[in-house]
Amino acid sequence: MGTINLIWRNSVRNKIRFALTLLSVAIAFFLYTAYSGINTALTASVTEANQLRLNSSHKVSLTRGLPVSYKQKMRSIEGVTSVSYASWFGGYVKDETQQISVFAVDHESYFQMHPEYALDAEQLTRWQKQQTGILVGQKLADNFGWKVGDKVPISTSIWMNRDGHFTWFFTVSAIFQGNSPSVNDNQAFFHHQYFDEARAFGRYEANWFIPQIDKTANAAKVSLDIDAFFENAVEPTRTSTEQVFKKEQTQQFADMAMILRLAVIAVFFTLLLIVCNTMMQVIRERRRETAIMKTSGFSSSYLIILLFLESLLLFGSGAFLGGLVGFIALDQLQYLFSDFLPGISLSPNLFIEMALMIALGAIISSVFPAITLAASSITSDLGTQS
Amino acid sequence: MQKNHYIQLDGVNKSFSKGRESVDILKSFNLSINQGEFVAIMGPSGLGKSTLLHLIGGLDEPCDGTIKIGDVTLSGLSESERTKWRAHHVGFVFQAHHLIPVLTAQKNVELPLILTKLSAKDRQKHGLAALELVDMKERCKHYPSELSGGQEQRVAIARAIVSDPNLLLCDEPTGNLDRKTADDILRLLAELNQQFNKTVIMVTHDPKAAEYATRVIQLEQYLSQNSDNRMADSGYN
Ligand SMILES: Nc1ncnc2c1ncn2[C@@H]1O[C@H](COP(=O)(O)OP(=O)(O)OP(=O)(O)O)[C@@H](O)[C@H]1O
Ligand SMILES: [Mg+2]
Repeated sequence: MGTINLIWRNSVRNKIRFALTLLSVAIAFFLYTAYSGINTALTASVTEANQLRLNSSHKVSLTRGLPVSYKQKMRSIEGVTSVSYASWFGGYVKDETQQISVFAVDHESYFQMHPEYALDAEQLTRWQKQQTGILVGQKLADNFGWKVGDKVPISTSIWMNRDGHFTWFFTVSAIFQGNSPSVNDNQAFFHHQYFDEARAFGRYEANWFIPQIDKTANAAKVSLDIDAFFENAVEPTRTSTEQVFKKEQTQQFADMAMILRLAVIAVFFTLLLIVCNTMMQVIRERRRETAIMKTSGFSSSYLIILLFLESLLLFGSGAFLGGLVGFIALDQLQYLFSDFLPGISLSPNLFIEMALMIALGAIISSVFPAITLAASSITSDLGTQS
Repeated sequence: MQKNHYIQLDGVNKSFSKGRESVDILKSFNLSINQGEFVAIMGPSGLGKSTLLHLIGGLDEPCDGTIKIGDVTLSGLSESERTKWRAHHVGFVFQAHHLIPVLTAQKNVELPLILTKLSAKDRQKHGLAALELVDMKERCKHYPSELSGGQEQRVAIARAIVSDPNLLLCDEPTGNLDRKTADDILRLLAELNQQFNKTVIMVTHDPKAAEYATRVIQLEQYLSQNSDNRMADSGYN
């Protein structure tokens, strides 16, 4: 207890310096937490994309549609086992600022190809049979208080229906959760067929196709074959593997993560210098006290351990603060980015990593002060005047 | 037959090397002090009074010769053994009190007891007892900055005696104090010497302070006599 009291008293001896150093530790660990959460999402969205799913869209632009009849045509290409398609509906409820992600998808094939949504057979059949049915993610349903069987209005600024309205009505068929954190449950899916029959223009066109290929097929070769097949069609295609597609989508985030990673490394390097310097200053300031403690029988190793614990306290509390703020920030990011980058979450490894970084930081920043402390001579440090 | 002294320095050599030059401070130095003596060491600045005190207290090592305190030969101990020995056998008081500013008087006094197996409660008891001895018990919750110079020195003395060492080494303990405060401190040291049979060795420049001692060593004369003796010794052989 006496020792702990001494460590604590010593730590907060210079309050401003302690606060500033603590702040730099906290900032570093905040950045690390944020980086780690975003990185988890990036790697998850790339690795979880089905290796067998390709993505074909209009060669010119993602916003231009491809005829739904391409489904049969693509199916005939060697290596392709099944084909689905989907379109972007946009969508908001009541207020245009409350944007939600709603997609029209081929009800026959889409979820066979996307097992990650983890729909059970009963849910799927109910939805498939319900022409105006919509599958709603848990988070979205929670947000608007939607339940199975509810008739829900969703508006779009893009698609006018044949009645001349921009508000469409759907019936909630089922609510899904998905089987991994990278599944976005802030989305909804309805029948592309209903979409085509009810909209005023752009009918029987889909924004993108999802050809699924055989396990033995070569994704790159099949992609080229598909694009070659439609090369001279009115609507040519551009096909990539879903991984590539997603990667392109998330490239900006990847760049961000890279910058963040470099920043985190730089910040930690600087942090070590800062803390090391602080500890050196501490040792110099307490030279006489250290000498008197040695005089009273405290060994150098005991004093070095005190110093190390002081550094550990600094890193530990800084990491706790920074980690906490990072955790709160990630929670917000998770919500804000749920459409673009689902799966922002903390990996359980983060705590182990942080613990290691805390220990390592405390050790490294104590090395030079420890050497100074061990080498200092009692008799010359005592001096006579303080 | 030679009497067994409590402190025994035999043929101690001590020199400091400054760059290429080496300065001899003590040469073939002998000294014996009995248990319960209050010895004042006086002499001009730079002569080696502090150095001598550091050697006796195991803060520094002689280049040559032996230093025996009680049954322990200091020169035979490693640095960490000397550190442990100091914790139990010596208390130091310096001209500057060297109290830790962030700890109260009481915590400062208890500090050396962290090294013992005493419980927190026992440490507190011992600490307060030491503070009571130096008449500072009422100020136990005060921080060093809230104490006067004399009071700080009393707390430093309490810290030096808290683990009940036999030997008290004081390097100009009253050097920073006015006459009256200095006398208070010296009376305290004399009391510790007489009532608790502590052996006290005090370096001082103040002849008044030396009056409290049972023996005064004028180091300058002592050094010359000492080497004369040596020469005489070798002459007879
Ligand atoms: N660590 C050291 N390295 C080199 N020289 C030293 C060292 N310590 C002391 N000296 C030298 O040894 C000599 C004796 O020093 P010491 O401190 O023992 O003197 P002193 O008698 O206590 O003087 P004062 O009365 O001024 O305190 C001085 O010349 C000093 O410069
Ligand atoms: Mg001196």
